[in-house]
Amino acid sequence: MSHEVDENAVRVEAVESLLVEKGIVDASLVDEVIEHYETSVGPLNGAKVVARAWTDPAYRERLLAEATGAVAEFGFGGPEGQLIVAVENAPEVHNVVVCTLCSCYPWPVLGLPPSWYKSPEYRSRMVAQPRTVLEEMGLELGADVRIRVWDSSAEARYLVLPERPPDTGHLDAEALAKLVTRDSMIGVGLALSADAAEDD
Amino acid sequence: MTEALAIDADLEGPVSPPRDNGEVVFAAPWERRVFGLTVALCRSEACEWEGFRQRLIARIAEDEARPYWASWAAALEDVLAATGTLGADELDLRHDAFLARPHGHDHRD
Repeated sequence: MSHEVDENAVRVEAVESLLVEKGIVDASLVDEVIEHYETSVGPLNGAKVVARAWTDPAYRERLLAEATGAVAEFGFGGPEGQLIVAVENAPEVHNVVVCTLCSCYPWPVLGLPPSWYKSPEYRSRMVAQPRTVLEEMGLELGADVRIRVWDSSAEARYLVLPERPPDTGHLDAEALAKLVTRDSMIGVGLALSADAAEDD
Repeated sequence: MTEALAIDADLEGPVSPPRDNGEVVFAAPWERRVFGLTVALCRSEACEWEGFRQRLIARIAEDEARPYWASWAAALEDVLAATGTLGADELDLRHDAFLARPHGHDHRD
């Protein structure tokens, strides 16, 4: 198998070569797009948004009321960035995000989705048995915590606003952002504890 | 593109996105390529993002066992055919020609 030509790779190469010949796309623009998404757009964007919401009550209200605009205050936008909706965790409520149909995901704040987010298992099971799937992913929630599962689509791409970890009152937004993981903003994890901010 | 790059320029260097917080998004070079190609095309008339997304949904639903990026590539072909940008016959010809290349000339990455 390993020495066979990958049909998909050849197919994609054929598509690109024809589009370049026709002058429809510029190969260097493709390179630029890839580099942009691999290096510049990632969960750090979302972490900044969350940390600001933890430290600025007025911003938190704007984020929960209309997240696309609140995110744009940081200059974050672009494809898959329309109609972002922020959902807030609380001691008794945990939010988790899935896209049951494909892979809708708020790119400007989280980057590109991880492979498991796009898997048929995650997409179907997170809706049917969220508590079990979260446990399998390492997140055990108390029996009294209600789990809300949000199905992302073109109409709403969800971003979880995780709870601010305890004993972080002395940290500023920049330090707090280091505690905000991608998984905590999808809802399959929690923000890191305070000591993670001092690990630099 | 220039605008988007400018917006995120401050994320380079010391405050670049944490890498330990991510996973490998692309398992093969062609997956990275078809993603970049699609997003680049959606900046032109050749592809409109929402139209692409609908076709991606359809392709995934059609065969849940197919790898994600293969469904993505199929959806891109659908869009290019629907907009008259690139027909299946023309693409098949090029694909066959590339497959017929001598051994050692079938990789580009």
